Amino acid sequence: MNTGQIISGAGHLGLIVWAIFGGAFESEPLPFEAMEVTTISSEEFAALTAPESAPEAVANVDTPEPPQAGEAPGLTSEADAAPDLAQPDPAESTPPDEVPEITEPAPPDAEVSDEPPVMQPPQEDTAVLLPEPVEPAPEARPEPAPRVAPEPVARPEPDVRIDEVDQQEARPDEEAEPVETDREETAREEATTEIVTEADRLEEAAPSVSVRPRARPAARPETEPEPETQTAETPQVDDSAVDDAVAAALGQAGAETQPESTPQGPPLTSGEKDALRLAVSNCWVVDTGAPSARVTVTLGFSLGRDGRVLGDIRLISAEGGDTTAQNVAFEAARRAIIRCGANGYRLPPEKYDQWRDIEMTFNPERMRIR
Amino acid sequence: MTSFNPDLLAALALVPALVHLPAGLARAQDSGPLRIEITEGVIEPLPYAVPDFVADSAAASEYATNIARVIASDLGGTGLFREIPREAHISRITSFSSPVQFSDWKAINAQALITGGVSVDGSGQVVVRFRLYDVFAGQELGQGLQLVGTTEGWRRIAHKVADQVYSRLTGEDPYFDSRVVYVAETGPKDARQKRLAIMDYDGANVSYLTDSSALVLAPRFSPTGDRVLYTSYETGFPRIYVLDVASAGRRVLETQEGTMSFAPRFAPDGRTVLYSLTSGGNTDLFSMDIASGRSTRLTTAPSIETAPSFSPDGSRIVFESDRSGTPQLYIMPTQGGEAQRISFGQGRYGTPVWSPRGDLVAFTKQSKGRFHIGVMRTDGSEERLLTASFLDEGPTWSPNGRVIMFTRETQGEQGTSSLYTVDITGRNLRQVTTPTGASDPSWSPLQN
Repeated sequence: MNTGQIISGAGHLGLIVWAIFGGAFESEPLPFEAMEVTTISSEEFAALTAPESAPEAVANVDTPEPPQAGEAPGLTSEADAAPDLAQPDPAESTPPDEVPEITEPAPPDAEVSDEPPVMQPPQEDTAVLLPEPVEPAPEARPEPAPRVAPEPVARPEPDVRIDEVDQQEARPDEEAEPVETDREETAREEATTEIVTEADRLEEAAPSVSVRPRARPAARPETEPEPETQTAETPQVDDSAVDDAVAAALGQAGAETQPESTPQGPPLTSGEKDALRLAVSNCWVVDTGAPSARVTVTLGFSLGRDGRVLGDIRLISAEGGDTTAQNVAFEAARRAIIRCGANGYRLPPEKYDQWRDIEMTFNPERMRIR
Repeated sequence: MTSFNPDLLAALALVPALVHLPAGLARAQDSGPLRIEITEGVIEPLPYAVPDFVADSAAASEYATNIARVIASDLGGTGLFREIPREAHISRITSFSSPVQFSDWKAINAQALITGGVSVDGSGQVVVRFRLYDVFAGQELGQGLQLVGTTEGWRRIAHKVADQVYSRLTGEDPYFDSRVVYVAETGPKDARQKRLAIMDYDGANVSYLTDSSALVLAPRFSPTGDRVLYTSYETGFPRIYVLDVASAGRRVLETQEGTMSFAPRFAPDGRTVLYSLTSGGNTDLFSMDIASGRSTRLTTAPSIETAPSFSPDGSRIVFESDRSGTPQLYIMPTQGGEAQRISFGQGRYGTPVWSPRGDLVAFTKQSKGRFHIGVMRTDGSEERLLTASFLDEGPTWSPNGRVIMFTRETQGEQGTSSLYTVDITGRNLRQVTTPTGASDPSWSPLQN
């Protein structure tokens, strides 16, 4: 019994020892390939790649050059600067600008007739390619240039987001006094007593009537009201007579010869009339559902030089409706004239004679519900 | 330079005349006043002020305030006027007879001003005097008026004042001093109790004319406002009753036995009643002389003819018929005869009512799943829909033909009926406050 256990224990022990030291748990490393890597800066990388791009550029720029046979030597001197890639000197970038300008006349079509002897070289296009590869070198520069920032920038702090503009982080200042921003007083929109017809609500989403645009201060006078009183001296037909007649109708000279009862001065322009019309319209309250909306009234009144109503406003005529409706229409029109003229209508003072007496017709035809 | 051609000058003088042809050639020579035509105005409520009336005793002070408030409510309810609140007033009216400082009222843009005084005499009578001013014209509109009534009737006095103001400012007939009879509804939709109720046009002073033991329908005022026609299911069949408003006494209008009669309406003379009668599955229009009880058949078509309404002059009848396949509106002479169809729009038309002004017919229209209250001219032209909802029906005209009251019912099992008013321009839709659900309104004429 003991003997068996000893033999078993010794056997197991031996097996364990062999496993540990015999390499049963070791695995062979997988084969892999290593590669030598060195780090280089972007400038170095640019330096490495620049020479490659330069020749490419030569080929591209070749074609514009041949016509400039005379200036070629001048350009060669600048070619020396080519290797200075690290210098983003603006002065260097200017020469390329000049070149394109010069190339403008280059198009052969335009110059064929001007310089016949030069036109022979066009056949040499390919031939010139070889002798001049060195000269266009400066024009290789525009490509590498953008790779360098125009302005040196300090290395940003670790957490800063890269942006085009430097900006300080905004932090609330706990010690600072709270600033009250200026606030305009606001209120909810005034409720109206009117409700749009439910049945029409959808259709009325878009405005159906536009406000009459405010009249322009037109300088163009109308040749309207002035009866011509001048007498003709000779019956000749003259082209300039038209101009003269218009000028006379508009001018002071013509007005002087008119009878006293007629208005003097140039007539109101349509813009000035529209302004007056608009001013009164804004105060004319129309009840489209009432019988008075079928009445057209004409009111007469006079204005002082300050644009205010003088004396009474009188009813000149009324059409449509019964007398009650006509009376209501007259009162509504009168209120409009008085209210909107409370501070005086703005009319050109020099034309006072034209607007001293006014007859105003209020026609609700277009507003009436149909 | 100095020479002119007379022909040319004459032609030039004519140019203005040609440009302004409508005004005529004469104008070219007549350089009179500046002529301007205004064709666009604004549609907005007219601002006015109604300060508290001046009370000449402590007993009158309560009425002084309340009457001014009712006037403001009446005018504001039209949508045509906007009260300038008292807080904005610059000057106070301390005496009814002292002159008004127009500049103070102009400054707050009050275009009209109502001032008044109230006194209560020893016999319990309220005496109200008022004046209406056109502020910007600086003059009084019409004459000052004095109204006398009982203290209980102070609201009617206020309505009368508001009527005068409304009439003077709009030129229209008034309507505030009027009443409405309607069907008051209580209980859920499937077990609704209905009874006749009467109230002021603005929903005040509600009282009930019948109990809720039997279903009642479609009350209609007589032209003088003293009686009401309505349909009741008291006997199980719909029958027409006429009820005296003052005494609440009523009697049935006897029609053919075994028939259903409904949709009654008075003729403008108050002696004849139009109604529908269903006999043998066909519904036609009949008229009845109330005094004699004699009925006359007006239509004989196999289709359904119902909802008749007289023109104000009593010469024609507008009614609803489905003789074309769908319910449409027709007009025919009062004595019967050929009917002329007036509704041609898409949808179904019903319950036509002729305007008191005579120019329009109000109706209910069902179209595309919605109900509308609308108006059209009596030849069927110029149809305008004023409202739109799940269920609008049963229009009735204000006494002046300016406002329409109707029933609006909301959707669903919990849906309720209530009364609304709308101006014939389609603006100013408002709900009338009633203590219970309400339907089927009928507007009375203006009270005396």
